[in-house]
Amino acid sequence: MPLPSVFFLAGFVTLFGFLLLFVASKIGEVVRDRVKSETYECGLPVEEKVDTKISIKFYLTAILFIIFDIEIIFLYPWAVSLKEFLAQGLGWYSLIGVGIFLLIFIFGLWWEIKSKALDWE
Amino acid sequence: MGADFLEVSLNALKLIFFFLMMVQMVPLLVWLERRGAGFIQDRLGPNRVGPFGLTQLLADAVKFLMKEEFIPQKAVKFLFYGAPIFALIPASLALCAIPFGPKFEIPAFSFWGRHWGPYEFILQGYEVGVGIVFILAAASLAVYSILMAGWGSGNKYSLLGAIRASSQIISYELALGLTIVAVVLIYGTFSLNEMVTLQRGPLSFEFFGKMVTIDFLPNWGIFYQPIGAFLFLAASFAESNRLPFDLPEGEAELVAGFHTEYGGFKMNLFFIGEYGHMIVASALLITFYFGGYELPFLTSQELLAIYQEAFGVGLTSSLLNALTHFAVFMFKIFIVLWIFIHVRWTLPRFRYDQLMELGWKTMLPWALGNLLLTALIYVASKTY
Amino acid sequence: MVEALLFWFLALVTLFGAVAMLLVPNPIYAAMSLVVSMIGISGLFAFLGADFIAGVQVIVYAGAVLVLFVMVLMLFDLKSETQAFSKGLLSRIFKVASVGFLLGGLIGVMVLEFSWILPVFMQSSPQWTMTGVKKMAQLLFTEYMFIFQILGVLLLVVAVGAVALARSRGGTHERA
Repeated sequence: MPLPSVFFLAGFVTLFGFLLLFVASKIGEVVRDRVKSETYECGLPVEEKVDTKISIKFYLTAILFIIFDIEIIFLYPWAVSLKEFLAQGLGWYSLIGVGIFLLIFIFGLWWEIKSKALDWE
Repeated sequence: MGADFLEVSLNALKLIFFFLMMVQMVPLLVWLERRGAGFIQDRLGPNRVGPFGLTQLLADAVKFLMKEEFIPQKAVKFLFYGAPIFALIPASLALCAIPFGPKFEIPAFSFWGRHWGPYEFILQGYEVGVGIVFILAAASLAVYSILMAGWGSGNKYSLLGAIRASSQIISYELALGLTIVAVVLIYGTFSLNEMVTLQRGPLSFEFFGKMVTIDFLPNWGIFYQPIGAFLFLAASFAESNRLPFDLPEGEAELVAGFHTEYGGFKMNLFFIGEYGHMIVASALLITFYFGGYELPFLTSQELLAIYQEAFGVGLTSSLLNALTHFAVFMFKIFIVLWIFIHVRWTLPRFRYDQLMELGWKTMLPWALGNLLLTALIYVASKTY
Repeated sequence: MVEALLFWFLALVTLFGAVAMLLVPNPIYAAMSLVVSMIGISGLFAFLGADFIAGVQVIVYAGAVLVLFVMVLMLFDLKSETQAFSKGLLSRIFKVASVGFLLGGLIGVMVLEFSWILPVFMQSSPQWTMTGVKKMAQLLFTEYMFIFQILGVLLLVVAVGAVALARSRGGTHERA
């Protein structure tokens, strides 16, 4: 991987953004005001704290995402070397192996849909 | 980054060029979006500043720059300022890994008493062997800028918008990942450059031991992966938070989503990041399914040969070849971006539960089915 | 030269992230430091020529696991810990034991100088990147196929467990 180029680009982009924000902060006229610097709330005074209660669905989505993401990542090496497997006569063998893996995956997805874990009310 | 001073600096300039190109495409796209909206809604759109209102966005940029520097009282300073800067990084890292044109060669020359070259440059920020994995990795970092902005603003609308946006992005990343697995399966490589090379020439494939060639169609991925292409397009709408998937910005519920508290140039940086993701998504769509920078019926080598006949072998013809393909790629990108814009003004927004259910219960099973079908047909057609 | 510079830069980023994760009092900054550390580790993988593993490191850890951490921490809105460690006798014993274990391990590595393992890591020719993935796939989908299937089952169990935990009633969030 061309690491020097990647780091150079990341550094340049960071510098670019930082400089733009810096210049913008120097040019604009600043009028400080107590009401202006309050949290935006459609004109009403802020009543609730930021840490409102949030549906557990969001955590569940994130956890299920991690699991499925890992399963999908396991498919990448297989997909990229399927030609080699075919050349070795292992095409069907690897496909059936991955198929069983995918069946477990599909079963998991089906169970989650059925158990309403993915329903949002 | 290179063997000598000239090569290193040219490569660095190339990276900066691609980044600035992404930044420069944003005002153009915003203009296109507003004019497009005008066209679709049977009105004019911005047409006062400059020809066709093209310099409107330049004026807007100056105005952004002149805006007051503002930070809400409850914001966490580091995250509040860090988020817009970080928003630029994933899109630009991903964009630079996409090939925009074929290699061009600078033959050896001598200058200032020493020999330079020969050099070979590719119209791409950097060539990554595992291109698509690199792009997925870079794109998966985009969530952080949203979360940083949402929490750093100290506003509940921002936080809610950020949580929604990140849930949505990660949900559709699954369908996206599965369609990409099918793409990788067909090409047998992670490298985007090789994918483009494999899509040269007329449509031809081995089907149950027979070579099938269809002369009037190019060898594009869309003919192998029609469902995959559609799923990829839909998932990339969701990934870049565009309508009909722009739930994080549902004004009626959340004010403006994770960037409620942002204004001026900080807001503008978020804009650049978001449009950058759109550009990356369209570039990937074209690289996977529409032949990348290649022309439909004329491979880059054939075009190079034509140029070499006209201008002789050397820098001129290879540079012209590269630039022609760059223009072709940009043309294809703009067509996809026009679809993005057209869809925005055509479809209404989803409801949040519909959005998540579409991602998990429709897109994911379809992507799985697409992958299984592709693998079955691929293996069957190669073994019998 | 550039190689050495790159290695030290990546090592410093990784260590900086890890140390910051331990020392920063704010839990969200701690999680973000861990992200930095993970990206550093991914860079080290890429430095060794294992590009695919480097990408996976970022996709899984920085792009998925730590997103969950950051999301959860943001929602709980935990206050900064002013006192980094508790003071009980048990925790003191634990602290001393864990520091001793880590230091002992480090010194052990330095004394024993696993010189035989170094050449394995030194191979980083550019063509290794793709053949490495294919070699891995070759092993994973032939010799270790059974283990691969067990892994699928394991992930299924995790998914079921997560859903079951999220659905459990009672506690502070009573759900209808």
